Amino acid sequence: MRYAPAILVGRFVRFAARLRKPGGGSAIPGLIVNRIAPGYLKRTLSGFPQGLVVVSGSSGKSTTTKMLVAVLRAHGIDVFTNPSTANISQGLTSALLERADWQGRVPGDVAVLEMDEGHGALVMQGVDARVVALTNVMVDQIDRFHDSDMVAGMLARIAVQAHEAVVVNADDANLERLAAQLRSDVAVHRFGVSQAVLDASPRGLGYTETSPERLADGTGVRVTTVDGAEAVLDDGGTSVSIGLPARGTHYALDAAAAYSTARAVLGQRFSPTAAARALSEIPAVFGRGERVAVRGHDVEFVLVQNPASYQLNVDSIAPGTEQILFAIGADVRDPSYFWPTDASTLGRVSIVSGSKAAEAALMLAYDGVEIDRVEPDLGRALDDFLAAPAPVSGVKTIVFSADSMRRTRAHLGLTGAE
Amino acid sequence: MTLTIVSLLPSLQNTNGDAENAAVLAARARWAGLDAAVVPVERRSDLPARVDAIVLGSGDDSSLDAARAALMEFHDDLRTWGTDGVPILAVGTGWELLSWGVERRGGPVVEGLGILPGRAVPRASRMTGDLVVATARFGTLVGFENHARDYVGAEGSPLGRVRAGSGNGRDSGQEGVVMGSVMGTHLHGPVLAKNPAFADALLGIAADRAGLAYQPGERAAVVDGYADAAREAQLAAARVAASAAEPIG
Ligand SMILES: [Zn+2]
Repeated sequence: MRYAPAILVGRFVRFAARLRKPGGGSAIPGLIVNRIAPGYLKRTLSGFPQGLVVVSGSSGKSTTTKMLVAVLRAHGIDVFTNPSTANISQGLTSALLERADWQGRVPGDVAVLEMDEGHGALVMQGVDARVVALTNVMVDQIDRFHDSDMVAGMLARIAVQAHEAVVVNADDANLERLAAQLRSDVAVHRFGVSQAVLDASPRGLGYTETSPERLADGTGVRVTTVDGAEAVLDDGGTSVSIGLPARGTHYALDAAAAYSTARAVLGQRFSPTAAARALSEIPAVFGRGERVAVRGHDVEFVLVQNPASYQLNVDSIAPGTEQILFAIGADVRDPSYFWPTDASTLGRVSIVSGSKAAEAALMLAYDGVEIDRVEPDLGRALDDFLAAPAPVSGVKTIVFSADSMRRTRAHLGLTGAE
Repeated sequence: MTLTIVSLLPSLQNTNGDAENAAVLAARARWAGLDAAVVPVERRSDLPARVDAIVLGSGDDSSLDAARAALMEFHDDLRTWGTDGVPILAVGTGWELLSWGVERRGGPVVEGLGILPGRAVPRASRMTGDLVVATARFGTLVGFENHARDYVGAEGSPLGRVRAGSGNGRDSGQEGVVMGSVMGTHLHGPVLAKNPAFADALLGIAADRAGLAYQPGERAAVVDGYADAAREAQLAAARVAASAAEPIG
């Protein structure tokens, strides 16, 4: 009963917000409930019968969360989870309110939350987590995080809230250091790649600092093979073949993270077969490997969010792809930190667009990429790019930052994809 | 003969992509028809026989001590290069380590290498944002700053006057420090790409010392068009009119 009045107010605000903006979920109800019942978020998050699982890190947390939820559900667990856009306090409370009964109780055996590395430490204050899984430490969004120490420090503050287990990427030296500082009664589970997989990524995996050694046999969940969108995990001597939502070693790592976290959560109940099946059924996502038919063309959309994903995704574009549109928007405040990446394999880009078009063109030009046209107006760039005849080699490929992706979807009317 | 650009400690000192300025110099030299190579130098044994220009980028604060220890190996070389007029571009903490010292809040002072006058002192909060600097030698410099310390003692020979942003701070109205051909700046990332006049001045010095003539190539004209557009956009964002940003004197 304790939160009933706050819940009622939150519900009313949500109702009112929907009247103004049909279909829109909003962070406002969460903001209001947080204000009038500040204990609600903490108490609800700590109240799931089989506990709270938190996924955080610089990169890959959305995919890892999605995969973990799928694996747990495949084991018959009722999971509450947050949409990836609601991973800060207000959004999280709003997401809980969506599912809450009139007393504020949220149904579910277990909660799996994707947590923003910046806000997570604050949201997690006083919240009791069972398991915390950490993907990696990369310096992304330089406006928010000035260096990797800051990111590692924030992840450490999330990790100390775990009372049962912390799952870390063993190839990330910052996370290994963090794991060494944990209380001795908290179990540490590890995932990582084999030396062969690392060697196949000539530029490394994008971590601020890569551990000198790979996981030894039987000490964790290891990615032993990645072949396009197929991967093999080694789980203590058992080979587990899985399909990935799209090509790329980073997806195999997300799968290994989800697999080993699900194992930590389920213990004896964990089934490698059920996990493999669930992982293999994860669909491709718009902007992350999914091909979409647009205005009579097959178009591949590639989202770049930080230098590591930029490099991985640019490397995965088939050489000789003849038509590329490259758009960087206002979300990239200072593109400096993208400069160490190398886009020379693109060879030629048809149009560079977005509000940071000039910065992007400058960077590509110094990588030795030929640029046919710079068109800051993204709408015009998209129209002209799609009006051009189909390419002789490769598919039309659009590389964009998150802001340009949002604008692209709006412009092309691709509202269904999420 | 190959113009050899040394990228000093790129594994530690490339937080904002500032070490990439070495590649910018090499690219522009090639566009001008010269032979050029970037040599990453992590330890003294990596040093090439010839050094025509040096780029030292910015690193994380947690690696200040490690970077200082690594730089100490090059103490004599840096002095010699400095006196011989080899162009050296030092950015952020790379610059701070070449100064008299780096004061840390609540920590011991990091003794600098004493190549450049002045010292880095803590500021109330980190400064990030657009930085526009009017200079007499290179025109208007445009870029980003991201630093936790101010810089004092550069008043005698700053790089230029601040038109937007903080620069050296402490109400000095100045940015950077210059000592012969050794330059320290808070302008991080691809400062030489975005400010071709700055890059060409450094290349001119390097080519001169090597007995070569440097004249920007045709490709540079195309690429500098992108730089112009990026500069215009950033000047607008920093609310500095391009005309008002021209250097005075
Ligand atoms: Zn590059």
